[in-house]
Amino acid sequence: MAVFTSMVYQNEFLADGSTDVNAIVRIDCSEAGAAGQTGVGDVGEIVIVDTSASMGLVNMQAAKDAAMVAVDTILDGTFFSIIAGNHRAYLAYPRVTSGPGMVRMSPQTRTEAKTAIAAFRADGGTAMGSWLLLARSLFASIPSLAGKHAILLTDGENHNESVTQLESSIRQCLGEFQADCRGIGIEWQVSEIRKIAQALLGTVDVIPSPKDLPRIFQELIARSMGRGVPDAQLRVWIPQNAQISFVRQVSPTVEDLTHRGTPVDALTATFPTGAWGDESRDYHICVRLPAKAVGTEQLAARVQLSTGPSILTQGLVKAKWSADAGLTTRISPEVAHYTGQTELASAIQEGLAAHAQGDDRTATQKLGRAVQLAAETGNAEATTRLGRVVDIDDPVTGRVQLKKNIDKADEMALDTASTKTTRIRG
Amino acid sequence: MTLFNRGAPGVEWNPGDPEATQPQDPPSSNPHREDFTAYPSTCPACGGELGIDAYCLQCGQKAKSLREHFQLEPAEWVGAVCDIGISHARNEDAMACMAEGDRAVLVVCDGVTTSEDSDVASLAAAHIACELLWANNPQGTGTTSSREAALHGALTQAVLAANQAVIDKTNPASTNSAASTIAMTIVEKDAIYCANLGDSRVYWIPDNSQPLLLTKDHSLAQVGIDSGAGRAEAESSVYAHTITKWLGRDAVDLDPYLSTLRVTNPGWVIACTDGLWNYASEPTAIKELVDFLDHSSPLALAGYLVAWANEKGGHDNITVACARIESSAIPSVPLTQVVSEAMDVLDNPTVPVMAPNPTPISLDAPTVALNRSAQGTTQSDTEILATNDDNGRESGPTD
Repeated sequence: MAVFTSMVYQNEFLADGSTDVNAIVRIDCSEAGAAGQTGVGDVGEIVIVDTSASMGLVNMQAAKDAAMVAVDTILDGTFFSIIAGNHRAYLAYPRVTSGPGMVRMSPQTRTEAKTAIAAFRADGGTAMGSWLLLARSLFASIPSLAGKHAILLTDGENHNESVTQLESSIRQCLGEFQADCRGIGIEWQVSEIRKIAQALLGTVDVIPSPKDLPRIFQELIARSMGRGVPDAQLRVWIPQNAQISFVRQVSPTVEDLTHRGTPVDALTATFPTGAWGDESRDYHICVRLPAKAVGTEQLAARVQLSTGPSILTQGLVKAKWSADAGLTTRISPEVAHYTGQTELASAIQEGLAAHAQGDDRTATQKLGRAVQLAAETGNAEATTRLGRVVDIDDPVTGRVQLKKNIDKADEMALDTASTKTTRIRG
Repeated sequence: MTLFNRGAPGVEWNPGDPEATQPQDPPSSNPHREDFTAYPSTCPACGGELGIDAYCLQCGQKAKSLREHFQLEPAEWVGAVCDIGISHARNEDAMACMAEGDRAVLVVCDGVTTSEDSDVASLAAAHIACELLWANNPQGTGTTSSREAALHGALTQAVLAANQAVIDKTNPASTNSAASTIAMTIVEKDAIYCANLGDSRVYWIPDNSQPLLLTKDHSLAQVGIDSGAGRAEAESSVYAHTITKWLGRDAVDLDPYLSTLRVTNPGWVIACTDGLWNYASEPTAIKELVDFLDHSSPLALAGYLVAWANEKGGHDNITVACARIESSAIPSVPLTQVVSEAMDVLDNPTVPVMAPNPTPISLDAPTVALNRSAQGTTQSDTEILATNDDNGRESGPTD
């Protein structure tokens, strides 16, 4: 049985007249168990492979190898299917056209699935929205599923669908399943894939070389199979007359959840967090309260993790108004750290977007700020990635110059990794 | 709303075990502290339902435990409030009061902050002293003076009993044994009998004449006043709050200061700890407050005095017990020495009251700012009937 614990990091002391309470709530999960084997329902896993013409022989072969490794990694008993996607979506395995669109993994279905994968050929265009909608329908065909996870591999832009079409498909899949998305090569759009991954509570990353693909699929499936808690929600209670300014996951990656809340009652909303394995996540909550008299102590938020009606853990975010400036002017190091990391992610994304539009001035300024923030918050990985895109003159002031010839792959690696945060040092 | 699902798997936070989720302020080593974690049934701020952790499920405000804030109203004319204040982590003040007919007993105690179990000590002392004084109502031989002597005897016995209660209910092995002040008053229709040990006080605040302090602190501040320093000056000294007499295992002198006041006019008897009088020490300052604040009932007045002290900073626990004496039908014996000395006080300028602060504060208490610089120096509030000699000791716990 999974064990959840939580810790709250904040400075609860507010100066007279202050209204904003910031807190980092760390939620740890241990003993999560294996997906589908904790008695809370079956799990389903779908592997979506881009089989468009642009994949070419090399990437296609790597993708086939990877999909087979994925099939090897999916635990026996797990429902699964394989989707081959180009400008249309095909159910590659199981070969059924109606009824349940997923089968349980067994030695026999594993062999059959690999045979199906081996027949993939690179051909046609790209319409990722249709792949997602097929996955949604397949998951829906198995009513016993408590956990639903997909991995999506692509190599190109979503040529055969409009932006609106893709967004509509994403919307229909919200809350239906989780998806980790990976892009191979440099022809795909980070922002496009990130949109899918963020909406579907997954990760996005670049696959630097085809030979890495099998290992990466193995890791993704293994992680998914280690998520014994199929679906949990962050449940936030705030007092009457208070407002949630924002709710963000800030570790391991920055994900804004503010607009993903579902009201439970007038004072409580839940935010999706997806499945949990043995892991630790940090959330940054900011609540605005009506100012109270000095000396008043109140709760600013109850931050809980729940599965349905069950509360698994709870952190209390407090507010105490004080006249003691020694108390009220302190800033929680955790809050400061993640505020910086969130700004870092924005600065990188905005800088790269400006560069893509030819606005080198804004790009230099934003990426300079990013270099500064990465140094301040001790995010060495970000500093390294930034160093491949800009020449860093002075990390303290953030003085940088765009490199003359920026490698597109480096730019994409910086972009996809922009939301990855480090934990506070010490 | 099912916020607290008792069947939740793997919960570190377990609502089925109230012990685990109670605020952890007082250590629970002393068995006499076991009732200290009781909470009111609804949120005092908004009336909402309280969560198991004492935070309101509606407005989020933290409810104070019944040890941190409690009030008593034994009769329409008697009301008292005991409150943790703002700065202190626990409420070491205590009070008890009883009233019936024309008779009331008010007791306030202030546990010494730096001592172990002082919150247990003060509550035990207040309870035992109040019960004893209520049960023990000696009439003397019938004369005024013999009754006064009898009641002073009862008050002195109550001090001894309170001291024994402190010893009985606190850790005997402590190297910093519990200590508490005590101020008691027996209020009758035409007389007020007082006793105190330490620096908790009883004031008489008549409606239309000069207010009086009926107790005399056992504190280094009082030693300073006795040797000629002004009250404001003496009470602002670093050592002002060092008390020279106290209840407790290491008490050195249990002779209380005793006094009697005969009254003919309507007014308020106010017993309080230094959590209040730190912000309004002079009887005239207390009177200004009483006149200004809502005094529609003793409980309201006590509540507003506490709220006012909290607004002034609430640096200490605050206890206020009020009894209302209406006009006595019986013309009383001419006032003794008390009044002639008290008349001196009349010459002092009153304390100006500033305009109320427009910012609303908790409990809707009006804001009163006292301009201390404009305050006259009072040499002697009152010298009523000191029946014992007072030699301040050089060292004592700081209250």
